[in-house]
Amino acid sequence: MIDINDLQKIYRMGDVEVRALDGVTLDIQKGEFLGIMGASGSGKTTLLHMLGLLDEPTSGNIIIDGTDIGRLSDYEKTMFRLYKLGYVFQDYALVPDLTVMENVSLPAMLRKDRDEEQIKNDSASILKKIGLYERQDHLPRELSGGQQQRVSIARAMVNKPDILFADEPCANLDSESSRVVLELFKEINEDFNQTIVMVSHEDWHKDYFHRIVRLKDGKVISDGFNGKDKKAA
Amino acid sequence: MGKKELKVAFLLALRSLQRGSRSSVILTILIIGMCFTNMVFLPGLFNGIGQSITKQIVDYETGNVMVNPKTGEQYVTDLDALLDRINSMPGVERATPHYTKAATVKYRDRVLGVSVRAIKPGDEKFVSPLYTKMVSGSYLGEDDTGEVIIGKPIAGDPTIKRADENQASLGGVRVGDSITLEYGGIVREYRVKGIYYTGWYSADTTMYTTWSDMEQVEGKALDKAEYITVKIKPGYSEKFIKNELQQYGVSEDVQTMSDLLEKSMGRALQSFAIINAVSLFVGVIITTVVLFIVITIKTLNSRKQIGILKAIGVDKEVIMHNFGLQVIILAILGIAFGVIMTFLLSIYMAYNPVVTPEWSATLYLTPMDYVTNCLILFLASVVAGYVPAYQVSREDIQSAMRA
Ligand SMILES: Nc1ncnc2c1ncn2[C@@H]1O[C@H](COP(=O)(O)OP(=O)(O)OP(=O)(O)O)[C@@H](O)[C@H]1O
Ligand SMILES: [Mg+2]
Repeated sequence: MIDINDLQKIYRMGDVEVRALDGVTLDIQKGEFLGIMGASGSGKTTLLHMLGLLDEPTSGNIIIDGTDIGRLSDYEKTMFRLYKLGYVFQDYALVPDLTVMENVSLPAMLRKDRDEEQIKNDSASILKKIGLYERQDHLPRELSGGQQQRVSIARAMVNKPDILFADEPCANLDSESSRVVLELFKEINEDFNQTIVMVSHEDWHKDYFHRIVRLKDGKVISDGFNGKDKKAA
Repeated sequence: MGKKELKVAFLLALRSLQRGSRSSVILTILIIGMCFTNMVFLPGLFNGIGQSITKQIVDYETGNVMVNPKTGEQYVTDLDALLDRINSMPGVERATPHYTKAATVKYRDRVLGVSVRAIKPGDEKFVSPLYTKMVSGSYLGEDDTGEVIIGKPIAGDPTIKRADENQASLGGVRVGDSITLEYGGIVREYRVKGIYYTGWYSADTTMYTTWSDMEQVEGKALDKAEYITVKIKPGYSEKFIKNELQQYGVSEDVQTMSDLLEKSMGRALQSFAIINAVSLFVGVIITTVVLFIVITIKTLNSRKQIGILKAIGVDKEVIMHNFGLQVIILAILGIAFGVIMTFLLSIYMAYNPVVTPEWSATLYLTPMDYVTNCLILFLASVVAGYVPAYQVSREDIQSAMRA
């Protein structure tokens, strides 16, 4: 469902050239729980930003569900994100002035194909799933980091996106909270056959992933299922 | 921009104001309110002064229409016939003559130069509210002779020493007292029949006597006047009466009050207009700058959040209107606060006018003044808010999120 072809991202700062992504080619299938791993600076965030339509590659292309996203206009990209993608950030990135419920409902409220009733039901059921339904009227600052991250996952999930992206969602969490969040991803993946692409550099996270892609210096150095290499770069 | 987008923008705006910094919201509203008050206060006050001066001039100087001697002549002559003619014209309430003579007034050890103005007390009542301004004694009777009414500032206050007076007076004349008037050789004793206070300086420093008395001073029937003031009936315009008089044979110099005001106060009115424009300009600039800064700071502080919102599929229009609507809400609240403040201020000033010897003024603001100023300030606010809102909403996700 995601086709990545020879993706390059080059940052130029004066004379210095940083090849953040250097020819990444990948196929991601529906229902996969994919982990992107690698050392700091290896290009994980850059890749996820490209996939999430948050940045544009220097060259190469990405085709999601048959759509070459490089050809979309600015507005079409926004709508693509709203209708097809969910994004979870390392630092939760909730709107501080909105309640838990309002944060979660926000993406649904903008969808033309959702009415009040459905927005309410969808938000309520996803909040129940993450176990924070009772806290729906709280503000983000009244929740723990792990709870906020779960709300942010609920926000990304409320529109039942085709693909869920998460960039180091556990980086700011203790291992207990991390485990809760990872279990939640696992559950979502299993219950809804949800495609999930998650970036991590914690080794123990790999137990949760179906498939692990390792990056180094902007290149894929390994790609394998259940720890076994599918192909070596 | 659909309904859903607007709804989300409004929700974001409202929550940001509700749950963001309370003090910044209150301060912004206060500043806008103050700017509104500042914008309307001076012009309103000048309008009030203008209105007050105009009314005094109509009441004590010119009437609605003033008939002056032909150019080159000192008096309006053939007075009785002229008065009859004017009084018979449609729209004329009453025409009444004035004749002023300089005199020296003596009271005990005080000597003062004054103008003594002869009036026809009955007719004068139709034109001037002087008869309602008596503070003691009574107004002149039609055929009183040897009696005057004098302004309170001339009568003076016996408790104030002469050296401390800011205006020369007779040092405390009371009703019934005798004063001596000397008109270039002719000396007459008068009884002070009444003391008035109009608040209009030139009326308050004049003495009034009757036409009959002045005829005795002159030693002959007085068929001439220095000028005639005309009061018009409601529903008639000054201009109409002026044209009418000129058309039907009044060959004297006929002027409306507005003509005269234009001539005498033209410069002052111009200065008022400039000051009004400046205070409007300053108010608009301050409001614009303040809102611009408030919203710019808000957008800069929210850059990361804006990036996040875009990343989750919120369109830039929604983000722009989020900030735009915040300004609109702040502007509406601020302007409402300003309107209330100004309104209270105008009520306060109606009871406690600014009083000087020349005029007393209250805030004079028409509903139109309120509406115009509200609109101007509102538009300025919207521009001030939407400029940074527009700019920040165009920023690309990468640079916004990295903020
Ligand atoms: N905006 C930018 N301008 C210049 N260089 C950049 C920019 N963003 C990323 N880079 C560079 O691209 C490379 C990849 O960065 P990226 O953020 O993708 O790494 P990462 O794998 O996510 O690292 P981490 O684990 O620390 O988050 C790094 O060398 C980084 O310095
Ligand atoms: Mg990263």
